[in-house]
Amino acid sequence: MKKWLGMILTVLLPQFAMADETCMSPYMAKIVGQEDFVYIWTLGVEGLGDEQDKLVTVSVNPNAEQYGEVVNSLSVGGRNEAHHSGLTDDRRYLWASGLASSKIFIFDVHTNPAKPSLHRTIDSFVGQSGGVVGPHTSYALPGRILITGLSNEADHGGVTGLVEYTNAGDYITTHWMPKDGELNGAVKSGQFADGYGYDVRALPRRNVLLTSSFTGLNNYMMNLGEMMGSPEAMSNFGNTVVVWDLHTRKPKKILDVPGAPLEIRCAWGSNNNYCFTTTALTSEIWLIYEQDNDWHAKKVADIADASKVPLPVDISISADDGSLWVNTWNDGMTRLFDISDPFAPILKSETSIGEQVNMVSQSWDGKRLYYTSSLLANWDKKVSTGKDLQYFKIYDYQDDKLVHKLTIDFIAEGLGYPHQMRFGAYSLYGMTAPPRPGKFAGLD
Amino acid sequence: MTLWVKKTQQALCWLGCLVMASAWGAPHHSSGTQTPTVAHHKPGLEVPLAPGYGPLGFELPAVGSYARPVIGRASDGLVIDSRGQQTTLKTLMAGKVTLLSFMYASCSDVNGCPLASYVLNRVMQRLAKDPRLNNRVQLLSLSFDRLNDTPEMLRKYAARFEAEQAQNWRFLTTPSDVELEKILKNYNQFVIQDVDNNGKPVGSLSHLLRVYLIDEQQNLREVYSVSFLHPDILVQDMLTILSDVKSP
Repeated sequence: MKKWLGMILTVLLPQFAMADETCMSPYMAKIVGQEDFVYIWTLGVEGLGDEQDKLVTVSVNPNAEQYGEVVNSLSVGGRNEAHHSGLTDDRRYLWASGLASSKIFIFDVHTNPAKPSLHRTIDSFVGQSGGVVGPHTSYALPGRILITGLSNEADHGGVTGLVEYTNAGDYITTHWMPKDGELNGAVKSGQFADGYGYDVRALPRRNVLLTSSFTGLNNYMMNLGEMMGSPEAMSNFGNTVVVWDLHTRKPKKILDVPGAPLEIRCAWGSNNNYCFTTTALTSEIWLIYEQDNDWHAKKVADIADASKVPLPVDISISADDGSLWVNTWNDGMTRLFDISDPFAPILKSETSIGEQVNMVSQSWDGKRLYYTSSLLANWDKKVSTGKDLQYFKIYDYQDDKLVHKLTIDFIAEGLGYPHQMRFGAYSLYGMTAPPRPGKFAGLD
Repeated sequence: MTLWVKKTQQALCWLGCLVMASAWGAPHHSSGTQTPTVAHHKPGLEVPLAPGYGPLGFELPAVGSYARPVIGRASDGLVIDSRGQQTTLKTLMAGKVTLLSFMYASCSDVNGCPLASYVLNRVMQRLAKDPRLNNRVQLLSLSFDRLNDTPEMLRKYAARFEAEQAQNWRFLTTPSDVELEKILKNYNQFVIQDVDNNGKPVGSLSHLLRVYLIDEQQNLREVYSVSFLHPDILVQDMLTILSDVKSP
């Protein structure tokens, strides 16, 4: 047996697409064995450590000598509202962006997976894109990265676009989201055509690209309480999912999904032509599905009590399309839904992760889950009632239960507020992990 | 039609039946790759076939109704063709739309190099029948296994895909490791030698399958991966960039 049995190529077929490891682009290689590292794009905080945004690398292989430790922290020289990140299709570079500065930091994660280095910074995203602001999702396409925007330069509202770069970081083109008056060939199927953006996912075998919609810079940089108290601000959230022609990048259909649909996760099964999203404001699970050669949207479940504003954030689908993890930021809960019937999700369990919880990433086999806490600098809770306000946590999923393994307190460590996680592994690059010093070498 | 192509086509139905019978929900585990790309299959494993082997699952947009923006420049490099003649990529590419594929002849993964060569074979057949393409398009298959893929081996490989006498499909290798590495790096094509548990090479290579669409001015216009490397898409894109007088 060869050494690298844990790796697969899911770029092979689109029917094996997405989730985290199960949420990645279908064009990208997957780690189906044990991941070695989690790269955490971390928000710099005034008065905490060096106060800069940074890429924090945690060793997560239980066989590693430094398991559970921060093995590297690479600051980028300022605060940018660090938010999401994504790997190139060859997994050699990690793109991490700032929602406030619209800067994009490209990290080399292949030369030394334990110690990423800053390869290039794109600080002309707004100008190059023709006015897109707030780079959010970095999504791998073959040889290029597709970036969703959240806002625009003209009014800092929610109208925005998709921007393409080469893997090397060179700008290619911009595709503005369809909106009333500028549908760009798309069919407006309901009430809304808002032009907003957030996440993006592809189903290559159906030639489909899906985008969701959030809100613009005016809102995401506003204090949360102030924003929620402003009817005008609260009216400026997205209500749409757009179906695109993947090959031509032309919008085809605008679906009504009211209440700010955020993360999109698509099923893997070859006949499972559907994706899930959750709505932040209305706390619902929606199914985006193909039927009769057309795409539709349908609410399929509630998430907790919407009147208490649980605020669904990250979600993660299992590799077998059988379950969906749903985090709710405000109550710090993670919920597991049985989605065997995608039209009728069933709540299986609820687990408290922390005082707030945002991102969740699961290993390919679903046996390990990783959680981080931060949402946005001006939305995060500021007063802790315990020690788990800003954290990175590792859980095992055993016997239908989450078993806590480890916590890194990002405040105590002076790191900042942790946000998106991406996995790394030596084996992706033909490397082996450094040998662990033997405990029985006779010198200790 | 050569035996290999025939066998591949016969295998499609058989493998396709396996695919249909399986849930397609479980990941395909590589039985010996250290990189993300090509999975080397064990006999008997259910192997989901790439879309390029079957009919396209969706309707393509009309020729010229969409753009293939320039995404970079095609790099040059010294190469040797299957007749042993040394030339350059730039010379070969001049004035023609090019599909450039990286491969190695002993690759056994049905969804790896054989997929690319199978798809290019189908494209070659279209070229012969389409006067819009025939004299304006060429196919290049460049080996990254220069020690084994000699010009003689490349001729044999070409014969497996009915391309030994083809005027518009060339099979190439490189004169040195330095030249090969330069070309691979410039095309972001990374190749890793598979090894066993003791670090000993097992003979197979892993790489991210990529096929490049290059226009007549040597601009890169598209990069295809396994999930959408399909003859219908390639032909449509070639016709589209040929209909595009000025690059967007």
